[in-house]
Amino acid sequence: MRNPITDVFFSDSQAYKEKHIMQLLKKLSVITVSSTLAACFVQAAEPTPENWFNAGHQAVIDAMHLNPNERHAKNVILFIGDGMGISTITASRIYDGQQKGGLGEENSLSFEKLPYLALSKTYSVDQQTPDSAPTMTAIVTGVKTIGDSVSVNQFVVHSEPSANLVNANKLTTILEQAKEHDLSVGVVSTARITHATPAATYAHTANRDWEGDSDLPAGATVADIAAQLVDFNINGGIDVALGGGRTRFIPKTATDPEYGVAGKRKDGRDLTAEWVNKHSNAQYVWNKAQFDAIDPNTTDHLLGLFEPSHVHYEADRVAHDKAGEPSLTEMTTKAIDILKKNSNGYFLMVEGGRIDHAHHSGNAYRALTDTQQLSAAVQAAMEKTNSEDTLIIVTADHSHVFTIGGYPQRGNPILGLTQGVGATEPDLDMLGLPYTTLNYANGTGYTGNSNLQPAGSKSFKSAAGAWTSGSEGHNPASFLSAVGRPLLNNALVQSPDYLQEVVIPLGAETHAAEDVAIFARGPKAHLFHGVMEQNVIYHVMAEALGFAEQHDAEEHDEAHEGN
Amino acid sequence: MKISGFLKLVFGLGFFCFSIPGLADSTSNIDQQWTEIACRYEIEVIPHAKSKASSNNAWFFWRKPGMIQTQDADGRYGEIWERTSNGSIQYRKLYHADRTAVEYMPADMPTNNISFDWIKLSSMLNQQELNALNIVKKTQVFGRSAELRKGKTDNQTIEVLWLTADNLPASIVKKDKTSSVELRLVEIAPLSAARKKPADVEEIANYRHIDAVDFGDMENDPFVKKVMNAEEHHH
Repeated sequence: MRNPITDVFFSDSQAYKEKHIMQLLKKLSVITVSSTLAACFVQAAEPTPENWFNAGHQAVIDAMHLNPNERHAKNVILFIGDGMGISTITASRIYDGQQKGGLGEENSLSFEKLPYLALSKTYSVDQQTPDSAPTMTAIVTGVKTIGDSVSVNQFVVHSEPSANLVNANKLTTILEQAKEHDLSVGVVSTARITHATPAATYAHTANRDWEGDSDLPAGATVADIAAQLVDFNINGGIDVALGGGRTRFIPKTATDPEYGVAGKRKDGRDLTAEWVNKHSNAQYVWNKAQFDAIDPNTTDHLLGLFEPSHVHYEADRVAHDKAGEPSLTEMTTKAIDILKKNSNGYFLMVEGGRIDHAHHSGNAYRALTDTQQLSAAVQAAMEKTNSEDTLIIVTADHSHVFTIGGYPQRGNPILGLTQGVGATEPDLDMLGLPYTTLNYANGTGYTGNSNLQPAGSKSFKSAAGAWTSGSEGHNPASFLSAVGRPLLNNALVQSPDYLQEVVIPLGAETHAAEDVAIFARGPKAHLFHGVMEQNVIYHVMAEALGFAEQHDAEEHDEAHEGN
Repeated sequence: MKISGFLKLVFGLGFFCFSIPGLADSTSNIDQQWTEIACRYEIEVIPHAKSKASSNNAWFFWRKPGMIQTQDADGRYGEIWERTSNGSIQYRKLYHADRTAVEYMPADMPTNNISFDWIKLSSMLNQQELNALNIVKKTQVFGRSAELRKGKTDNQTIEVLWLTADNLPASIVKKDKTSSVELRLVEIAPLSAARKKPADVEEIANYRHIDAVDFGDMENDPFVKKVMNAEEHHH
């Protein structure tokens, strides 16, 4: 049987190629260079110069056939890879490709196949390198603000305790607007559902850490983030909320069903019970069996809280979770199945929240595998939706100081030691020592003696029997200066727990200030272009959903009334 | 240096952390039988090199069913381990002066290869470690029965004065080529009669709680900044 894609590459007949390229174009809306080459690699060990040329030409033909979708979107799905900078995407793409048996570089993550791309400038009103609160605020409200602030403007001082002042300066979010327009709305995250990124979609507060009432200072009148989620009252409330963060929803007199630790709420409220009581056809679940049993056809409001704090890294989820918890992909598809029942459409935010945490811990493996999982979630969303009526956006809130360096040969294991083209041994530095392709500029993998691990390479996990006080294996409070570099080998550095080397020792690796990518498909996706301010993302979503036109009309009416 | 840092010097890398899956669950009955107790210990680290200064620290230890708590002498810093209703162990660092607890999630323990041994938490040495030491004398300390046990490993000698009824050390002396580390009990009393009581669990519940995993996103938090700086200076 002939394969139309590979035949195009491997036929000697130019006429055959041209004819079938045109036929292909009719069948395939978008074929990127990378996906075409990936198909090529499955067929042949090495693409020929002609393969490269044709694939490049194909991409241009595809681009010429891209037709901007000017329709309004019925649905918008916003994916956030927390801390998913461009180097993270590149490394994850290679890792994913190598896991599939390819060389890796030619591979594409699902969202890299989306046709429209822009860069996002992530700085906040007061930070050159931002945190997740103001960046997500910019993404979902269209307005940049100051660090740690969640969907309030820059005029609210940090940690403002007054509900009146917060309310007077709150910024309306795209999720709130969606609700006001009778759409269904959902929030999904692998972090606590009250963490900064998901919180910015539904809550307003001047301190991202005020996630539960026990986090609030005495005398504060602003509501905690967990309470704001359950008390969200626009048009029947939030429809789906899935993630971690259970203890801030249950009173301190109650114990966690999975681990037995006490709840954190001082006000005695059981927000999980309130969720079920206040919403129609509502369910609360906290483990995978309960989650799997949810019938989207009969459930209209679903709250799922699968851990007391953040849910597991994808790399650890199945092996280590006591009660079982769904993957990000499973949460995303369940959310879509519930939300899509609304004929008016829906807004869904999905966050791969632990990419950021893995980077903070200096552990590339878990950052890459969580990015892989985000890619799988995007793929599932693409398959469950129609690009004609659903705008899908994939972006990051900020980057990390994560680098891909050296001159490794094509197909070199991305987690491995750098080995140059044609070399039979790893490349050596000027001390005569091998080094990895992936590194961090700062963080916990510094090779000097730390207060938790001896001098040399550092591990995400503590050694068996060793004292450790971190929920992440290596949360050092101090380091001594390193002497030289450790002697590395491939078995060590490709271990899932290896912490890549860093230049500057810190207790946690930091965010980075460079731009992040925005990928998009669907209605108005073509409005993403060039280098954009991060807050433009909101305005594209609002334009796609038709909120911007209404906003303009209302302003016009107000102006007329004023006259 | 925090209490756990001193204890690590005394007990080596094994103190407080053991990878013995399932052991914690088998200890609940023993835990119930052990006396509720309050102790005050002092630790002294004496380097053999005269150029290095010795250091010492006092700290409190409290034990009752389901809870172990420690606190440094000035009451600013402590640690608490609690057995939850389903056998998990919840560990928190307590910064009393800041009314803040840094918690380490039970869910993260397997990922990080951590499992606490409740017996060792409760008595500082487990039976296997005691059995490795020879009983050289039976005696009385603080009016309580005690055994003097001695042993030798590759590079160090260890001497333990063990309170048999209380399942606690009255002293541990560890010597190696570089230093001598001594842990000595200076006060012991039933918890109900203790001069200094542990922090109330209800009160701790009202502390601000921070998941240790969130430190990376809290670089501007005044408490996190202060803690990291303070620990750096201690090093």
